[in-house]
Amino acid sequence: MTDRVQVVALAGSVVLLLLVLELVRRRRLAEEYSALWIVSALVLIGISLRRDALDFAARWLGVYYPPAVLVLMLVAIISVASLSFSVILSRQQRQIDRLIEENAIMAAELRELRASDRGGRVGAVAAADVVADAAQRGAEPRPQ
Amino acid sequence: MSRLHRVLVLIPAYNEAASLPAVVGALRLRRPDLDVLVVNDGSTDDTSGLLRELGVRWLEWPDRRGVGRALRAGLRYAARQGYDLVVRLDADGQHEVDDVERLLAPLRLGAADVVLGSRFASSNRSHDPSAVQRSLGAVLSMVTRRTVTDPTSGFWAMGPRAVAMLAEHHPGGYPEPELHLLLSHNAMRMVEVEVQWRARLHGRTSLTPVRLLGAGARVALALLIVPFRASLRSGHD
Repeated sequence: MTDRVQVVALAGSVVLLLLVLELVRRRRLAEEYSALWIVSALVLIGISLRRDALDFAARWLGVYYPPAVLVLMLVAIISVASLSFSVILSRQQRQIDRLIEENAIMAAELRELRASDRGGRVGAVAAADVVADAAQRGAEPRPQ
Repeated sequence: MSRLHRVLVLIPAYNEAASLPAVVGALRLRRPDLDVLVVNDGSTDDTSGLLRELGVRWLEWPDRRGVGRALRAGLRYAARQGYDLVVRLDADGQHEVDDVERLLAPLRLGAADVVLGSRFASSNRSHDPSAVQRSLGAVLSMVTRRTVTDPTSGFWAMGPRAVAMLAEHHPGGYPEPELHLLLSHNAMRMVEVEVQWRARLHGRTSLTPVRLLGAGARVALALLIVPFRASLRSGHD
């Protein structure tokens, strides 16, 4: 019975490794985010193969059923992955914030530049021109 | 000081079409010398269309991102355009335009980096702070080691050092309490000035009980974290 657990764990780990590599090959997964998964898959494969290592870890942890250590590791890996996703998400949020703000400031500067070009009051006109200009360049003017 | 300061009035606005014209009108009438920048934080009412008629400068984006981010964008604009001083006031008309100069005065003298307009500074105030404001003020006073009588005030004036720092690092969410911690941690000189306040012209505060809980949690986290952050470089030049 434990042998079957071992085989399933091994097969699962190998599938994970191949899946990750295939995603990287197709450029669906960026290299920098694949490292965590590749290392995890390799560790799982190693532990699935070396039954004695699993037994040793179980004894050391005081776990009576060695395959439970596999589950424990899986939980640890998923936790680390989730945390790293949150970090990545925060970084991307910061980047998006920056872009939105830069874009808004540049739109305002363009508006003011055009208004001063035709001697008008700053901020009084030129909104329509900005939209028209954006449409001309093939960008999508925002709805509303 | 002999140098003439360039001053920008920064007004964050979310669905304030009803009161914004009166606020901008009062500024135009009594302080025509000041430039006005409205930051439209993804309003779903008429605010966006209104901006094109009011003859003010403005920034906007399609979705709501919170007042803190709106302020950060406005401060970045101010820094980029070379404004020395920035006054932040609310679009709902609760701040008196005549108080703007009271806030600017310490900055013009170079006596402060940030001036906070407090509604509760004097003893003969028209309103009392709520229990939440009172306890928040007590906590902030303790942590920042100066008296904070109005921890949620949205009436601020900022000098060049503060503008440079906050253009990059203004906190998001409901930012005012966190701002106190950030400024104190980065050794900004801060003074409180008494201001009047009126009831909002239109609408209600966007602070619902759920949001208040979220804001409270964020302040609690900031109280723990901010003192341990590295000091910001732009605040020390």
